Amino acid sequence: MDIDVKNLHPLEVRLLRHVKMGEDITSEKLISELDYKVGQCNQAFSWLCNKGFLEEKSRTTRTFFELTELGQQQQKDGIPAFRIFTFLKENGQATLPEIAQKLNLEKSDVGSAFGSLSKAKVTKMNEEKKAIVIADDLPDNEKLIISLIERGVSGAIEENSLTAEEKKAMLKISKKRGASNSAFKMIEREEVVYILTEDGNNARDAIFDANITGEELGNVTAKMLSDGSWKTGNFRPYGIDGPTSKIIPGRHNPYGNYLQWVKDKLTSLGFEEFDGSLVENEFWNGDALFMPQFHSARDIHDVYYVKNPSHCKKIEEPWLSNVAQTHTDGWNTGSRGWGYKFDHEFTRRQIMRSQGTVLSARQLPNAKIPGKYFGVARCFRYDQVDATHGADFYQTEGIVLGDDVNLKTLLGLLKLFAEEIAGAEEVKYVPGYFPFTEPSIEVHIKHPVLGWFELGGSGIFRPEVTKPLGIDVPVLAWGLGIDRMALMHLGLNDLRELFTPDIDSVRTRRGN
Amino acid sequence: MPKIETTEKALFSFLGRKYSDQELEEIFPVAKAELDGHEDDVIKIELNDTNRPDLWSAAGIARQLNSYQNGEAPLYDFFSTKDESFDSEDRSMKVENSPCYRQYSIGFAAKGHVVNNEDLLALIQSQEKLCSNFGRKRKTIAMGIYRSDLITYPVHYTSADPDNTSFIPLGMDEKLTLREILKKHPKGIEYGPIIENEDVYPYLVDDKGNTLSMPPVINSSSVGAVEVGDSDLFVEMSGPILKNLLLAASIMACDMADMGFEILPVKVEFDRETEFGKEITVPYYYQEPMKCTIDEVNKTTGMDFTGDQIVNALKKMGVFAISDDKEVFITVPEYRDDFLHAADIVEDVIIGYGLNNFEPEMPQSFTMGRLTPAEELGRKAKDIMVGLGFQEMMYNYLGSRKEYIDNMCVEGDKYIQIANPMSENYEYVRPSVIPSLLESESISARAPYPHKIFEVGKIAFLDETDNSGTVTRNSLGFMSADSLMGFNEVSSIVSTLMYFLKLEYKNEVLKDDPRFIEGRCAAIFSGEKQIGIFGEVHPRVLENWGCSMPTVVCEIDLDTILSL
Repeated sequence: MDIDVKNLHPLEVRLLRHVKMGEDITSEKLISELDYKVGQCNQAFSWLCNKGFLEEKSRTTRTFFELTELGQQQQKDGIPAFRIFTFLKENGQATLPEIAQKLNLEKSDVGSAFGSLSKAKVTKMNEEKKAIVIADDLPDNEKLIISLIERGVSGAIEENSLTAEEKKAMLKISKKRGASNSAFKMIEREEVVYILTEDGNNARDAIFDANITGEELGNVTAKMLSDGSWKTGNFRPYGIDGPTSKIIPGRHNPYGNYLQWVKDKLTSLGFEEFDGSLVENEFWNGDALFMPQFHSARDIHDVYYVKNPSHCKKIEEPWLSNVAQTHTDGWNTGSRGWGYKFDHEFTRRQIMRSQGTVLSARQLPNAKIPGKYFGVARCFRYDQVDATHGADFYQTEGIVLGDDVNLKTLLGLLKLFAEEIAGAEEVKYVPGYFPFTEPSIEVHIKHPVLGWFELGGSGIFRPEVTKPLGIDVPVLAWGLGIDRMALMHLGLNDLRELFTPDIDSVRTRRGN
Repeated sequence: MPKIETTEKALFSFLGRKYSDQELEEIFPVAKAELDGHEDDVIKIELNDTNRPDLWSAAGIARQLNSYQNGEAPLYDFFSTKDESFDSEDRSMKVENSPCYRQYSIGFAAKGHVVNNEDLLALIQSQEKLCSNFGRKRKTIAMGIYRSDLITYPVHYTSADPDNTSFIPLGMDEKLTLREILKKHPKGIEYGPIIENEDVYPYLVDDKGNTLSMPPVINSSSVGAVEVGDSDLFVEMSGPILKNLLLAASIMACDMADMGFEILPVKVEFDRETEFGKEITVPYYYQEPMKCTIDEVNKTTGMDFTGDQIVNALKKMGVFAISDDKEVFITVPEYRDDFLHAADIVEDVIIGYGLNNFEPEMPQSFTMGRLTPAEELGRKAKDIMVGLGFQEMMYNYLGSRKEYIDNMCVEGDKYIQIANPMSENYEYVRPSVIPSLLESESISARAPYPHKIFEVGKIAFLDETDNSGTVTRNSLGFMSADSLMGFNEVSSIVSTLMYFLKLEYKNEVLKDDPRFIEGRCAAIFSGEKQIGIFGEVHPRVLENWGCSMPTVVCEIDLDTILSL
């Protein structure tokens, strides 16, 4: 038999080295000869039996009596009967309450001790209802108890070692459970006798052959390092496939990490981040993007209105006048406009931002040329919440301004996004429609896992959008639908999961 | 986005041949259309361009695709203009004393084609899409199709008394007053709200007093009941914006011409001056010619197109164009009204030339990438919190009154309320990260403790000093819940956080904040500015949330830190 004894625990090793074939092995033996604790004996027996190195020979129950705290106290101070006897002898007569107070005993203890002394005719109550001593010595019964308590000091007393008389007395002053009011606690110990098996004997030989002593070093301790004792010992190898304990780490949210990664990608491509307020107005959310106030395109953006204040105080000039005029007759943008009377009340109406493009519009008056900007914007839509629609969600949008910007560079930029951010293998461009761009282009990509899907929408801002906001160069506008890739990245298929409040679900979530 | 359904037979008949699904998918982008489904004989199509109502029918899509295949713009010869009107013979309409809120009605007639089942479905669908999407649910366009052979011209569009005018509406067999129709007829209930509060209702009637309809609600059951087998039709549109009506009429006329009808002009006399005069003959072409320079096309596309190349690309889009060496001039198709700017011509050039024929190029200009200061500070704060053993969470920004106000035992008078919530679950904008964190705690009792979570996100609340009366802030909130968790623990975390954010701070007594146990909460001050609060969450708040562990929270305003 090939026995791997290297992984035996020191408790096992020392036991095996210590015993011989046929010899009785008990806890008592290990405690006295190897200085094991009771728990260590049990561990060693359990492990070695499981390995088949030990087997049970016999099992007997032995009863012991062990001094309780109260018993130890009585050993020092004397038992109540002894103390009452001595007190009365020295001080003459006393009432029972006086005795209890002087000796700091419970009245009930005084009562029962006095009762048993009186029964043995050692004390009695006189005419004045005071206790007095009427004998010279304690009764034998009490003496016996005192001697048992004295014996108990040197360790638990085994039942077999008691005479019939002692046993009778012991049972009166001991309890199995709730023994704190008794001098002794009765303990039943199962004593199991083990013997070495054939395998155990082989293991024993192997241990000697391998020169394993059980004295190998366990945990590296600070003491070991400071006194250099590790230099003279061998390190015990540990079992390396045991169960591990669970750790709850501090961690970033994987979806947040993904968005952060996208932001880092975009900044690495030269984009500057913008951000804005969650509450918007119709002017920036739609009018500045040349979406006519009456047009059905505005139905796409079913928006949440702010109850109060329902309107903002003012719209910044000259942008308001420029935009209003552009809607009406095109202003100086070269457009014929939408040909309607711009509603100055409607434009101030406040809503929850419904599209990230708002931030692009707001950036235009302050944009650098050339310039590249992006934002990951929380948007709100009046939609039934389900697996593919959230009440609020992130949109990733941006713009590129510059004299050299045109359709070809737009396609180039989309290709760059497709490859860098989506890891696309193939890219396809399809004419699209957005109210604020002309031309408008959707980019579809072939993703290694998801197959063909729409990565995003883009286009060149209409002059009706840029000129009123003071920009005379072409502006590329783009938006990426990264939620779908985020879901795939996180192994999810329900948008609601991205914002789940479930702690365990987020704690255990891993990105790809 | 409008979606339409057509039979294979109808679509392929307009296209002149059968197409496989793959062929359709390949060519549909020219019309910004997507094949949405094809089951048995029915083809479903989604149209993405909300500015091209001419594409919302099988005839319209086929017209666009045929141009693309042939490189030729289609020709329709029945349009009158302001200079030249076709003879309308005896067909005319008189708009007299029309309602002030829907002033206009126009119409044309058609004959020479027997309506079959597919035609009828197609006509109803075109009518439906034009009135519902382009006409904003009949608010700006209502359309009726009638049996021309039963009509005695001129047709009168006028105002009628809701209680003293009655006719038998389509789909019913008893005579009802106009007001009764609004109450009893399904279409009356659906579209009645457009007119019900007006003193007079729009009314269309022929010269002999036969009712055609009560626009925009319902036709009459006689003249207004078009069926399979009819071949003489009168099509009428009414609404408040004349130009939109003319466009809708042009689209219908072209679709019907493509079906095989001969389109017959109708003269319309208005009771007032209009942008197109007092009298027009419909179908009427009102578009001005457009032009753009070759330079404009080339600057936007990054190409070096000649005038001829541009003209050919436009023809493929169904747009008739000519060019000289500098400019391209186009005739806007009768059925389109989406050329507002030269940029719109350029887009048609791009699609006509083929988007995938342009070579992508990288932008050359150098620009500096940069995150916002709030993002950078947020990342720093997140890293510290993660190091302190906290799990980052991300939450929705809309919630209920119960979550943000009732459970938190606060008044909520500074909170932003949604005027039109879809449900009470999304009625308020999040004013603080704390309710989000407590919601997590309330549903996560089974997750092993301790619970240490945080979020860096946005909050918003009312603020009179801002133009919008609201303010959005970047906020850090964290929460810790465990069997032994109290003020000292959260105070230690705050202290560590402040140390690594390099902020000198002091705690001041926070009074009258019912979210916390009085005397076990603090306001964090850096200099003169309050940057946050923290403390032991009051058991009544925990009880409201159904939380059963001692919980501490802290919220720090990152924007205030940035302003220090």
